[in-house]
Amino acid sequence: MEKTQKSTKRLKAARELQKVVADYYLRCMSAKSEGRPVGWMPPMNGAIELFYAMDLQPVFPENWSPVCAAFGLTPQNFKVSEDMGYSRDLCGYLRNIIGYVHGLMNEKDSPFGGLPEPDMILSPGGGCVPVMKIFHALERRFPNAKVFYADLPQVAVEDIKDYHIDYAMSESQRLADFLTETTGRRLDEDRLQEVVGLSDRACELWDEIMSFRRYRPVPFSAAEMGIMFVMVTLQGTQIAVDYLTRVRDEIRQKAETGTGVIENEKIRLFWDNIPLWYNMGLFNYFEKFGGVVVAETYSAAWSIRLDTQNPKKALALKSLMSYPLVSCVSIDKRKEMVLKACRDYAIDGVIFHRNKSCLPITLGQMEIKQALERELGIPSVIIDADHMDERNFSLAQFQTRVDAFMEMLLERKKLTG
Amino acid sequence: MQRNKMTNDPIKPFKKSIADSQERLKALSASGQKTIGYFCTYTPIEILHASGFIPMRIVAGAGRIDKANAHLPDFICPFMKLSLEKALNGRYDFLTGIVQGYSCDAACGLINIWKDIFKDRFFHTIPIPYNNTPESRAYYRSAVFELAGRLEDVGGHFSETSLKDSMDLYSRIRSIQLELYDRRHKGNPAVSSSGLMTIVDAGFLTPPDQYLSMLKDFTDQLPQDPRATKDGFPVIVSGSLIEEPGILDIIESSGGRIVADDLCNGFRQIFPPHGEGETSIDRVIDRYMNRFPCPARSRAIHRSKRLLDLARDSGARGVIFVLQKFCTPHLADYPTLSEALKKNGFASILIEMDETWQMEAQLKTRLESFFEMMGSVA
Ligand code: SF4
Ligand code: SF4
Repeated sequence: MEKTQKSTKRLKAARELQKVVADYYLRCMSAKSEGRPVGWMPPMNGAIELFYAMDLQPVFPENWSPVCAAFGLTPQNFKVSEDMGYSRDLCGYLRNIIGYVHGLMNEKDSPFGGLPEPDMILSPGGGCVPVMKIFHALERRFPNAKVFYADLPQVAVEDIKDYHIDYAMSESQRLADFLTETTGRRLDEDRLQEVVGLSDRACELWDEIMSFRRYRPVPFSAAEMGIMFVMVTLQGTQIAVDYLTRVRDEIRQKAETGTGVIENEKIRLFWDNIPLWYNMGLFNYFEKFGGVVVAETYSAAWSIRLDTQNPKKALALKSLMSYPLVSCVSIDKRKEMVLKACRDYAIDGVIFHRNKSCLPITLGQMEIKQALERELGIPSVIIDADHMDERNFSLAQFQTRVDAFMEMLLERKKLTG
Repeated sequence: MQRNKMTNDPIKPFKKSIADSQERLKALSASGQKTIGYFCTYTPIEILHASGFIPMRIVAGAGRIDKANAHLPDFICPFMKLSLEKALNGRYDFLTGIVQGYSCDAACGLINIWKDIFKDRFFHTIPIPYNNTPESRAYYRSAVFELAGRLEDVGGHFSETSLKDSMDLYSRIRSIQLELYDRRHKGNPAVSSSGLMTIVDAGFLTPPDQYLSMLKDFTDQLPQDPRATKDGFPVIVSGSLIEEPGILDIIESSGGRIVADDLCNGFRQIFPPHGEGETSIDRVIDRYMNRFPCPARSRAIHRSKRLLDLARDSGARGVIFVLQKFCTPHLADYPTLSEALKKNGFASILIEMDETWQMEAQLKTRLESFFEMMGSVA
């Protein structure tokens, strides 16, 4: 086991992913020469569908961070941002992307040819503080980009009222107007409906893919989580739907033939919080105990079904719900989701990644942990780490805690049969 | 001290009010006068007051963390950690609930965690808009009405007339506080900076009508004649909530002279004293939209302009950033702010404080060398 390590992927589709990722970034880089204006935006909102409907190129700086982690560039990027005065206590996505745009990006020696400079920046008012601060820094770094100051109520999913939706809808109209003004393109309602339909179809496929994780043995594990890439960057495109269809077919076939991730599946695990992007191999670590990470909170929140009959309202709702579903805005809702997932996927134990780089997702974990024990009798373990910064991760501590936890789970299993 | 003609310690009533606050609010709540807590000063307390509640800012003070560790990671600001610790120790049992205007992620998470622990209380978060447009104001108005409605569920009675009274009350309070700030800007401070902070802190914990008369008593006794300006390198203190006013004394005894601040329990929550608009609700909204900006709700680049103005107005030549450890909004703004200050010829230094607020020796050494470098200690 290494401190930084890639995961073992067993799905054909997961290997095919490399091409999907490379194609996406290639499209980003060729966008300008092909006349598609580029906009940088935060993930998890309904703006992506507007972009694809208007044939604009969305780029997600946060998603670039896992890419940097996979290519081992993060330490370099951190050095740049930390030298600028950004504290090591700040979210690793922030330190990575700010370091990247002030460092490697200028040198052009980056994976997939790098990121294209933005013509537009969607700077969020809403989401978490680090994501807002990332975009404030990007505004300064790219002074020629046109900036849209977005605004979105940070309201718990269970507290959403009509007036929140109305405001989110008026903001999304304002965004559409901004895009028209900046690029000269108009939003075609039919095309929007089509894109929203594709986006919804991707979510439907995603839910179906997830449903096969109920099988025992489970046909794929968190080690294959890379497939989520299309849910982050390509929602609303045929590419995502086609790719997810292939993933679904492969997984369905595995499920139906009883082909599991490992031969002798004994323990089914749930992972809470963002993965360690520089060490996806951790998801395979459990296998020596007969353990598989069957489900995770992170993936569930990317699938929000959209009402294709009312695309604008659907997108407003998606924007309102996405971030609260994974963060401390909706701890009650998150608790409910984790408990439900643990029941649905017959989980034996839960791993809480206490993520130094992400306070919004880490807050509430202890409440969820207690509820799991109290209501379902499911034990859990806390792993102190960081989704971007390997300096905040101790492999030795991870192994000690996980080994003890897995042994305890195996012991319990023996007793309960 | 021969600083003015006042007898005794002029700050004493404020200190006492802080010391007695828990007992007083507990007694008031036992007699039926309910109190609602809030973390962040973006919470429109006028609405709470107009609905018949005493708004009380939750303060953490200094201390050690024990019980709160079962709920929180280590990497969260001391303010949030300690306030939960105190709540778990029963310190805030008298609160009817908490209302929080969404500010930072930590405060957002904490209100959820309190809600999970104290199941019988009232909790409400107001998602405040980030933009200042007619649409966002209309949205904010709906959010205010939702809050007023929810407060009615726990015994509140809201009306535009009562809101007008509450606004007038808070506006008078803030105007007096601002006069005190103004004197400091002009080099004629009424009290030491730590004294001024104590006065402000007392306002968080004292029923506002009582607090207003304390402020009036205090200003009535103030000498009118200007006094000689003190020595020291003139600085602004900028940062999150400072829980220990003694920090300001340490800054001053190390060679600094605080002429202004950009603090959560300081100028930031006082300015402007009131808003403009047709109705009372418009005025409340206007004030919160135009507040001296907090990093959780604004851009560093806009804040740096405000800081530079403040420096020019007050004659400051440097900025001391005093942050709660792990305070994301402030830490994220710091590089931009310090760069802008440097470009404009202002020095700055960053100090992060943990929950003990006890790092006097280390702090003094750092500050002394900072001021020495600035050539102020002759
Ligand atoms: S949600 Fe967490 S990981 Fe994402 S930007 Fe915010 S703090 Fe960072
Ligand atoms: S702004 Fe900073 S000090 Fe205040 S609650 Fe948030 S993290 Fe804590």
